[in-house]
Amino acid sequence: MAKVLIPTPLRQYTEKQDSVELTGSTVGEVLGALTTKFPDLRKQLFNDEGKLRSFVNVYLNDEDIRYLKKDATAVAAADTLSIVPSIAGGSAGVAPPPLASLSNDEILRYSRHLIMPEVGMEGQLRLKNSSVLLVGTGGLGAPLGMYLAAAGVGRMGLVDFDVVDFTNLHRQIIHGTKDVGRKKLDSAADTISDINPNVKIERYDTMLSSENALEICKNYDLIIDGTDNFPTRYLVNDACVLLKKPNVYGSIFRFEGQATVFAFPGGPCYRCLYPEPPPPGLVPSCAEGGVLGILPGIIGLIQATEAVKLILGVGETLVGRLVLYDALAMRFRELKLRRNPECPACGDHPTITKLIDYQEFCGIPHPEPPQSHGLKDGEIDPVEVKEMMDRGSPFLLLDVREPHEYLICSIPGSKLIPVGDLPKRVNELDTATEIVAHCKTGVRSAKAMDFLKQSGFKKVKNMKGGIIAWSDKVDPNVPKY
Amino acid sequence: MIKVDAQAWAVMVAHAEAKFPNECCGAMIGKIDGDEKHVTSAEPMENAYGGAQGARYELRPEDLLDADKRARAAGLDLIGIFHSHPDCDAYFSKTDLENSCPWYSFVVLSIKSGKFDHANSFLPNAEQTAAEKEELLWPKS
Repeated sequence: MAKVLIPTPLRQYTEKQDSVELTGSTVGEVLGALTTKFPDLRKQLFNDEGKLRSFVNVYLNDEDIRYLKKDATAVAAADTLSIVPSIAGGSAGVAPPPLASLSNDEILRYSRHLIMPEVGMEGQLRLKNSSVLLVGTGGLGAPLGMYLAAAGVGRMGLVDFDVVDFTNLHRQIIHGTKDVGRKKLDSAADTISDINPNVKIERYDTMLSSENALEICKNYDLIIDGTDNFPTRYLVNDACVLLKKPNVYGSIFRFEGQATVFAFPGGPCYRCLYPEPPPPGLVPSCAEGGVLGILPGIIGLIQATEAVKLILGVGETLVGRLVLYDALAMRFRELKLRRNPECPACGDHPTITKLIDYQEFCGIPHPEPPQSHGLKDGEIDPVEVKEMMDRGSPFLLLDVREPHEYLICSIPGSKLIPVGDLPKRVNELDTATEIVAHCKTGVRSAKAMDFLKQSGFKKVKNMKGGIIAWSDKVDPNVPKY
Repeated sequence: MIKVDAQAWAVMVAHAEAKFPNECCGAMIGKIDGDEKHVTSAEPMENAYGGAQGARYELRPEDLLDADKRARAAGLDLIGIFHSHPDCDAYFSKTDLENSCPWYSFVVLSIKSGKFDHANSFLPNAEQTAAEKEELLWPKS
């Protein structure tokens, strides 16, 4: 005779006995004997298919039978069986079912969502009642805005101060050729409204800053970071931590991308992963380093997927996991992230209790008033370079861009030595010759000028604004890229 | 109706506030008299959920088994489970429902900015599809 201990709430089915002695050589036999003796107990322990209900665990003495031989576990006369429920739960970002309803048009529109039990009417209403802030309507913001609108997110805030440019079109598919020159906000809002007129769009024609971030972010359930600069990433992170709102993060560069969810209560934040920003200039932006046009589609949609899961409260989110994507290898990798108890933002004793100056934190000088017209030390205007050419002055025009950029366009008569090759090829240059260095916009050629001056070249100048300025001021036939 | 004694209530609130911003969990022990459940002591338990615990909790069945044994030895009953919702209301979420058990009262404590805000008690059904709200009485200070 083995003993089965009956939990208090089930004693109403066992004639108030707190334990029952039963015969049987296996767990299955003993439980069978129990429910034969007390048929009302059957429904409590087993489902309609005769399987133990998901929350029912059976322990033989101190061991869970799942780790023994389950139903076939042998039972001896002195053994005790216990019935223990497995219990879990959590708020998990899921509010109680909302009260709003869907119109017949909406029911038709979302029918492929509604027929999936994981979404259903309740989930679709959650989406309708949700609000999402997209910081940036560029590469990542484009697929995010379009798919989240299509999925039925009810309210969408868009933050952008930029204007659509031709160089945006190879990836920012929320904007079209006809939109070049328009505000990205207007162009994105038009596309979103066309996809789903039910979405309420709120436009913020501004740069997210320490002054406005909390005020803007507080109106949304989720914040999605689609920016590509470090000051804004830290700003979005800190604002999300302070407001306790999830930060759905993504970043892209060339052929690689990353995505995760930061600042989810109890999970890590951006500062847990990157406590300090990289030195300015070390990590190139997409404008400097390039990006595969398709890449933001993949990463933006990973972000969109996480946003929808957070809203629906389904699945396993990327909280605590960083997904790394390599398009060339077509490989996804995953890193585990943990909240750092010492983190200045989300740690146990946070020191960041309000937003700071993120430009300064990232070592970036505050943007100067647009295009100071004067020339800085060592700079020369493209028009003056052209005059030198026309006069026939002897000088060397040194192009320090990469060979693949040289193939896009070049200035006749220039000599190509990529800035990275200068140290080993410096002997090709003559200190007696006057040198004018140029690149695309003047940043790399400034570095080249500094290097040459340190190497003993005295007559070096940097062409201000690079080949882009040359195209603007001297020769419009040179294409801009 | 479930009534919680002052001392047990103090233990539950202290545990929930201490674990903030994570969720806490534990068991409630006492006596059942007809329709009235009377909680005389609370046992904080470790949140065994493997991931981020800001919005999730999990009770170890072993811990529950031990608590049940101690309650039996003292002539008392395990009558409820409590857990906290950091910075959100004391509703019974979908996650709560889908991982519940119909045998116990489920008390949810809402902790906002680290301080107790309000609480509710729920009785889930066996199919884990709905939970009925149960009257909860705790000592108001």
